[in-house]
Amino acid sequence: MPDTQSLVNEFVLKLKRRKVEGSQATAKQTAELLRSVISQQRVPPHTNQAGVLIDAIKAVGEQLIAANPVELAVGNVVRRVLHIIREEDLSLATTAIGGLGLSAGSDDEDNVEQDDHPGLSAAAVAAASRFTLRAPSLHTLLEGIPDPTAVHHTSSSGGDSEGKSKSADKSLRIRKLKHDVIEAVNQLLQEIDTCHELIAEQAVEHIHQNEVILTLGRSRTVMEFLCAAKEKKRSFRVFVAEGAPRYQGHILAKELVARGLQTTVITDSAVFAMISRVNMVIVGAHAIMANGGVIAPVGLNMVALAAQRHAVPFVVVAGSHKLCPLGGHNPSYMYRLIADYYSADDFVVARKSAAE
Amino acid sequence: LFLLDCDAAEGNKGGAASGGVSLGNPKPAKSAKPPLERKDATHAAASVAASEKKGGDRPLEKDRKKDVPHPRMQFDDKHRYEHGTQLPDLEAKFFQLDPMHPSVYKVGLRYLVGDLSGGNARCIAMLHAFKDAISDYTTPSEKVLIMDLPAKISSYISFLNECRPISISMGNAIRFLKSRIRRLPVTVSESEAKATLQSDIDRFINEKIIIADKVIVEHAVTKISDGDVLLTYGSPAVVEMLLLYAHKLGKKFRVVVVDSRPKLEGQGLLRRLMANGLSCMYTHINAISYIMHEVTRVFLGAASVLSNGTVYSRVGTASVAMVANAFRVPVLICCEAYKFHERVQLDSICSNELGDPDTISKVPGRKDLNHLDKWANHENLQLLNLLYDATPSDYVSMIVSDHGMLPPTSVPVIVREYRREELWI
Repeated sequence: MPDTQSLVNEFVLKLKRRKVEGSQATAKQTAELLRSVISQQRVPPHTNQAGVLIDAIKAVGEQLIAANPVELAVGNVVRRVLHIIREEDLSLATTAIGGLGLSAGSDDEDNVEQDDHPGLSAAAVAAASRFTLRAPSLHTLLEGIPDPTAVHHTSSSGGDSEGKSKSADKSLRIRKLKHDVIEAVNQLLQEIDTCHELIAEQAVEHIHQNEVILTLGRSRTVMEFLCAAKEKKRSFRVFVAEGAPRYQGHILAKELVARGLQTTVITDSAVFAMISRVNMVIVGAHAIMANGGVIAPVGLNMVALAAQRHAVPFVVVAGSHKLCPLGGHNPSYMYRLIADYYSADDFVVARKSAAE
Repeated sequence: LFLLDCDAAEGNKGGAASGGVSLGNPKPAKSAKPPLERKDATHAAASVAASEKKGGDRPLEKDRKKDVPHPRMQFDDKHRYEHGTQLPDLEAKFFQLDPMHPSVYKVGLRYLVGDLSGGNARCIAMLHAFKDAISDYTTPSEKVLIMDLPAKISSYISFLNECRPISISMGNAIRFLKSRIRRLPVTVSESEAKATLQSDIDRFINEKIIIADKVIVEHAVTKISDGDVLLTYGSPAVVEMLLLYAHKLGKKFRVVVVDSRPKLEGQGLLRRLMANGLSCMYTHINAISYIMHEVTRVFLGAASVLSNGTVYSRVGTASVAMVANAFRVPVLICCEAYKFHERVQLDSICSNELGDPDTISKVPGRKDLNHLDKWANHENLQLLNLLYDATPSDYVSMIVSDHGMLPPTSVPVIVREYRREELWI
């Protein structure tokens, strides 16, 4: 697609030159770009449509991630979109089992050679789809993936192949998959857009009267969070550590004062001294890793250690586009969250060669 | 001649549009004082006269907003930095103060502008000034030296306190001096008394500071081995001596100098170390978590060590010790025994010193960072410049003092055994 390729190239250049500021803007633009890629991707019938889309996204995603490896939001959004494609395909497959003809649709693409078996019987494909619907469990792992060419009489319905309605349904399905994926990506975009508001809504539960909050550097999420509490008439004061060498704390302090909050600017070296009088530390993050760790502006490790020593709650506020599936073993509270947003197959975003 | 250069954030923040303050040469005591111009623009320093000139000829321009202190934080000297520095106020109040010996006045002004910093340097300078004051002292008629001299010294101390709150090292030295005065035999003549006191002061400086530093360096250098990576914070005088001595002995090590705003004292240390050929790395305190994994030992200085083993030192020391502890790197505090104090402090807020808030809003070399200009106009905004912090004793592996290498819990023992009021051994 020459049209999308030029868009992609333009965005890659912007990423390389660090022209895009901030995770939210980066995530949004990445999502919009991927949406254009999807909508303009030609998906020929009789093929594994989800596979084609996934390939296309992976090809583009690879380039984007390589352009700015430090901005993890890019990779996160790429993986989110891949997961969306898989999910939408899966949900279409479930509805298709109920009688519509299936032409493709397993999302275990690396295990199933769909291209070699274009004319699968509906029953076999339905069985394969039903298999994939089962939640991953030890049983399924040990059982292995059933060969879709073998006929498994497990399907409870849709045993007859409805060849006549197939072609009509197929075109419907093509459009439906792309349509569903694009709708889901739109939802993702909206989620990225409104992340600050959604987080700020919870501010009142956590910030109470006469509290002392400490923060370091400047995060827009933190600022919206604090201002939301201020709107709800909580009176509290904020200590802002300046966050050398960027000194973004100065900017945050100015903004908070403009919104009417009692603010005190301190140097980074004074954090340990002040933290004994602080009720809560609220900071933003650059990225949140799958093992629960946080990538944040320099100096926050010191603040975290000091907060731990003084038993001060350390709160990190971040939008879901900052949640990164990389980073090691997931502790229990992260596992569900990661599994909701990402697929295990997408950890390495690399385009598969055609032979595979 | 003695010229002070104090252009660092000294302008009067009041209605007057004054620029920097320039001080002329304070002349020796005998000459008359030039008139002090207290017009809008410039402030010229007074030179000191032994006789008190009747003042009240200049209006005071006080443009201070009353800071409402945060209910959780009360600093005794909070009034010192209410939107402006003390220098113009001090000069204004000069004529209401008691007559000041010129040496004491000189030292006070050096404290005020930050020319003299560091516990040892301030203490030595103060003691030298007191030596001069004692040598020029004559007992007024109908007064006894043993009673009058301490009163005079107290007046000097309150002046110095106005310039900058006295440090713990200075406080201990003053207690020593007053106890020596009290112990003078009643029958001694004035000249003998003065000579005794001066030699006592010399002995104190020599034994408690200069030789003590040498002993500390001798002890601590045994803890440095080849291949070490040593980290230090700020610019502690003893640690500097230690590093230079170890380098002279031929040990192979490299140094990481950690610095922080607003004082950036580490830059001076860095220059001096590099001039002597040590290989150094320089970084900001925010990066200590990043480099601590390469460090083998941390050497820190202290303003004082308190009786619960808490180390009272430059702000940021506690953070460095905490991160070193997290990475299992030993932390050694080098502190002379005269700085130990029987006070106990639980955290850094109970007792501290405030610095000039303008140094936070202005970042030298970064003119683009002007977000906090005119911070005084916003009543919701405060800038807090703490000077000290308290490092808990469990972060400290060892204290190296002239009495040897001790754990932090031994400090009250030293205070009790070696510092009984009369003995000051």
